[in-house]
Amino acid sequence: MRRYFLIRIYSEDLTAISGEQFIDALLSSVRKYFGEIGVSTIAPKLLRFDPHRSEAIVACQKSREKELQAAVALIREIAGSSTAALTVRISGTIKSLAT
Amino acid sequence: MHKPVDLHIIPRVEDEKSCIKTAQMLKSAGYRAVALTLPTGLLKEHVRSLRNRFADSGIEIFARIDISCANRQELLRLLRRFRNVYDVVAVKCVNHALGLVAARDRRVDIIFFDPLKRNVWFDHSIANVSRAALELNLSTLFSESILLTKPMKEIDIATQHMVRVVLSSGCTSPMMIRTPEQLSAIGMVLGLNVRQARDGVSVIPWSIVEQNVERRSKEYVEEGVRVVKKRVG
Repeated sequence: MRRYFLIRIYSEDLTAISGEQFIDALLSSVRKYFGEIGVSTIAPKLLRFDPHRSEAIVACQKSREKELQAAVALIREIAGSSTAALTVRISGTIKSLAT
Repeated sequence: MHKPVDLHIIPRVEDEKSCIKTAQMLKSAGYRAVALTLPTGLLKEHVRSLRNRFADSGIEIFARIDISCANRQELLRLLRRFRNVYDVVAVKCVNHALGLVAARDRRVDIIFFDPLKRNVWFDHSIANVSRAALELNLSTLFSESILLTKPMKEIDIATQHMVRVVLSSGCTSPMMIRTPEQLSAIGMVLGLNVRQARDGVSVIPWSIVEQNVERRSKEYVEEGVRVVKKRVG
């Protein structure tokens, strides 16, 4: 079972952030606070990234959603610019996130 | 969730753009009220305009002071001076003796520790006498050299002694703001249960603020005593 997160990214210098840069930052945050075992048990996966709206949909293991939410909150910068990643919604299906 | 409150926002008062951005971010993150740490020498007009700026975004504002001093006498002097001026009084415990005094004093609402300082932490002796709530600031967790063991241990001790835990962002820039749900998720990762984590960003900060607003009202005499009706003539 998976949980899906809708995440909105705010950046200080308004440069467009790519999906790769975001998932790199997320994985390094998970690795920093929960370790390699955390990465494999939380299993974060970027499903969609909209660079125009700066929104991402990320999936993780259902039982580890708190850890992923904490890791998202602890992202401080992406590609060298100060960033805030806010969780907008968490759901059991991607469809309900889009609505 | 009960109305979410962030009790530790440190705005850059001289930077108007940053203040506006902070207010917008707080609104989009879902906060209903915040406590702003304001410098003690700030002009009243400046404070009023800051309040208006946040009120325009639909966020209720409370004034907070962070007291950081080295000894007991200084702390007591500052508490006498500022308790009736600010809505929230917080003490940054820079040493163990000060932590004990601050935790015991009923004028102190919140105590917090610097996780990077290894010689001072929230231990059993402080927790045992604590009337104040323990605050955990998200901003301190951003540091590169932080280990989560220290805040985890502090939360464990607070839970054992039934000390209230407040989760705040401690942000100095808009990019350090996180949603109340994210703060409570961090609380849960650090060892709080679901209810404690949720209360840490809503019920507990509200109760602190409401109690102090009541204390500062004209009807308040002392704990449990209020003026109900005044005799005329």
